[in-house]
Order: sequence, then C-alpha cells, then structure tokens
Amino acid sequence: MNEPVAEREGSDEALGSLAPSEFADLYAAHSRAIYYLTLRFLGDPQKAEDATHDVFLKAFRKMDQFRGEASWRTWLYRIAINHCRNLQQAWHSRHLFSNADEAVWENTPATTDSPLRVLETKELGERIQAALDGLSEEYRLLLLLVADEELSYEQVGALTGQSPDAVRGKLHRARKAFAVLFKKSDPLPEHEASIKT
Amino acid sequence: MKHQSKLNPEQQQSRQVGTEQQARQQPALEFATAEELLRYDAAHTTVPAGVERRLQKSAGDLPRPKPAWWKRLWGGTKP
Repeated sequence: MNEPVAEREGSDEALGSLAPSEFADLYAAHSRAIYYLTLRFLGDPQKAEDATHDVFLKAFRKMDQFRGEASWRTWLYRIAINHCRNLQQAWHSRHLFSNADEAVWENTPATTDSPLRVLETKELGERIQAALDGLSEEYRLLLLLVADEELSYEQVGALTGQSPDAVRGKLHRARKAFAVLFKKSDPLPEHEASIKT
Repeated sequence: MKHQSKLNPEQQQSRQVGTEQQARQQPALEFATAEELLRYDAAHTTVPAGVERRLQKSAGDLPRPKPAWWKRLWGGTKP
C-alpha cells in the first residue's frame, strides 16, 4: 500500500516524479485545501472547480520543477495563488465580473450532512464569502492561508512575499476587518455564528 | 376515534411560533478568530467529485512527467 504523500515529503523518492497512484494520493491529501482556497478567493464554485482542476493538472505537468525545498502543500498553494491572480486579471481586463446569482455564494456541503446542516453551511458560507469579498486581496489571502493549520507563519510569509513578523502584524488587522464585515453580514445577530472580538 | 387537540387555534398558532423560534435559537456557533471560522467552513466543504474525474481524464491524455532535472543529472541525489 502506498505511503501517504504528506508523510513522504522531503524524502528523495517523493520528489520530482510520481506514479499515477502517488499523484492520486497527492490529490487526496491536498485537494480540499486547494479547492477551498480557490472557492473563497474567487467566490464562485464553478470557477473554483475549474481552477482546482487546472492547478493539479499544472502540478502534474510541472512535477519535474518541484525541488523539495517547499512542502507539496506550499508548492500547490503557490500554483493556485498564481492561477487565481491570473484569472482575476484576465477577468478585470475584459471587464467581466462573476454573476451575482445564487451560485456565487454556494459552497458544496459534505454529502453526509443533514438537510438542516446543509442549509446552515450554505448560509454560513454566504456570510463568510460576503465578509471575505469586502477585504483587500492581501487580507483575504492571508486569512485563508493562516487558516490552514499545516502552514507556518514562515510558509505563509514565503507565499505572500513578506516576513513572518509582517504576517503576524497584518493578520491582526485582517482578523479585525473580517470580524466587522462578518458581523455586518449577520441577518439575526443573536442566533447565528459569531466571532469573539 | 379521532384524537382532537386540546389547544384552540390561537394557542396552536402560538405554539407553532414558539417551536419555530426554538428552532432558530439553536446553540450559536462562536469562533475565537476568523481563521477558526474559516477552518470550520473548510471542514464542511467538499471538493466536487467532477474535479477528480476531469483530472484523471486530462492527466491520462498527457505523457508521464519526467523525473526532476537534478534527479536526471545527479542520479537521484538531492542537490
């Protein structure tokens, strides 16, 4: 049985080239993180689905460029961030914006969730997306990366081109800005999810 | 024998409103930080199955990627 990719990171065998089954392990270990980043960064489930596909395909094609200096997760995030930025630049240059329909807010709840949980997840997802959309791209990306427990401040700093101290400083401001926007998006303040401020 | 409610229509309506309010007053989710909330959201997000299917097809159409340049050059020793 194949050893999970995440546990082989850093070993020579894990670097440079993967067998199809190992690439499947790579996908299984990191696809949720990549999909979530693209979903909340782009704010559109369909675009996130396409972006996740494109990120992993790019990773598959550029496997020979992975040198093992970063973790697989960090490497994939770098591809995903560049891909999302390119997409946004292309849309902006063509003055095309995402449809303001229901789909913009949706995420895909786990299939085992109860109908009530699905509804709650959808509502919470809408509020989170609204709050994230109100942030600058820098703060949005920072919060999404810091939320991944597998990443250290050093890795977040490397991905966003700043020092770990700068990450910590900006994170404090990003949290506050997000909390304000999240509270504003709450239709029933006493009943819904909240963040301690 | 038909079982009749002991409540009059007004009481029934009041009871229904109470139940709806109770349903809405589920224990609120409270998160210490924005990241904690995002983590919760991420944990409840599933990657659509279509992505993996598309990826299998797309990757299957491509030749298997070459080993890393340094692996070809130094025979597997990390530079």
